[in-house]
Amino acid sequence: MNRADIILTVVVMLLALALGPAVRAASGLMPASTVTISCPAGTTTVPLGAERTLMIAGNGGPVVVTVHQGSVAVLESSCPDHVCVHTGAISRSGEAIVCVPNGVTVRVGGEPSDGLDAVAR
Amino acid sequence: MDSTLSRDRALALRAPAGTRRLVKAGVLLAGASVLGLLEAAIASPIPGVRFGLANIAVMVALVSLGEGPALTVSLLRVGVVGLATGSLLGPTSLLAISGALASWAAMSVALRSRVGFSLVGVSIAGATAHVAAQFAAAALMTGAAGVVLIAPPALLASLPFGIATGFAARLVISRLEGSARTGR
Repeated sequence: MNRADIILTVVVMLLALALGPAVRAASGLMPASTVTISCPAGTTTVPLGAERTLMIAGNGGPVVVTVHQGSVAVLESSCPDHVCVHTGAISRSGEAIVCVPNGVTVRVGGEPSDGLDAVAR
Repeated sequence: MDSTLSRDRALALRAPAGTRRLVKAGVLLAGASVLGLLEAAIASPIPGVRFGLANIAVMVALVSLGEGPALTVSLLRVGVVGLATGSLLGPTSLLAISGALASWAAMSVALRSRVGFSLVGVSIAGATAHVAAQFAAAALMTGAAGVVLIAPPALLASLPFGIATGFAARLVISRLEGSARTGR
């Protein structure tokens, strides 16, 4: 290894160490994950970071949706089987809670979060 | 001993240069494929962290045969390993191809540059470019910039692995080409 090699090594090391903070700083500017709630009356979007409880009008009565600490859950529903309530809290992009009798869907969208889909060799 | 040497030399003289290069490229491709398969069998503790063993063969091809044959060896190696592990034409082979291309390009540039990288430096450039390109491709494919957050450990790990494969490649090259090419 000569001097050029060592300089290259140090430069790569510094860039690698600077990458994490740089991406975190940049991701602060990007739109956060959102919750999209659609019901027979229309669609609303709420940021996942909010602390809110919403009353949604479903086909058969009210559906209570709560956004709390970065996750969404259906707390109460006027439907007979409560599948939506039993789904529990969701937080990852692409996850959804559906209440079929009330025609209400709650979806998490935006920046896909962590988790590996594939490993390259 | 003496007679074997002279017979080898006579055979080498008889074989046309093009044929010798072709055979060398074939042997290097076989070596790269075996090393790639060996590596595929080793489970990696951190995603994106690999030894980059196949890079040894690509680097040998780069120094002793040139840039074109090295690119051929590298891309065909991705194809052979993909075929054998069953990941060919899947999303992961796109990552592998981007890594192979970037690593080849970085090593070619490093070898040509006047900065005076040793073969170990060339190997470091290749290993780092490989990792960086894979994460960049992964971020583009998933559309998630967060993928880049797990890149730093892999980038840092590519340094010792790049140094190790660089020394290995230098050993092979000094046997193949004599010490003249490895002096740098």
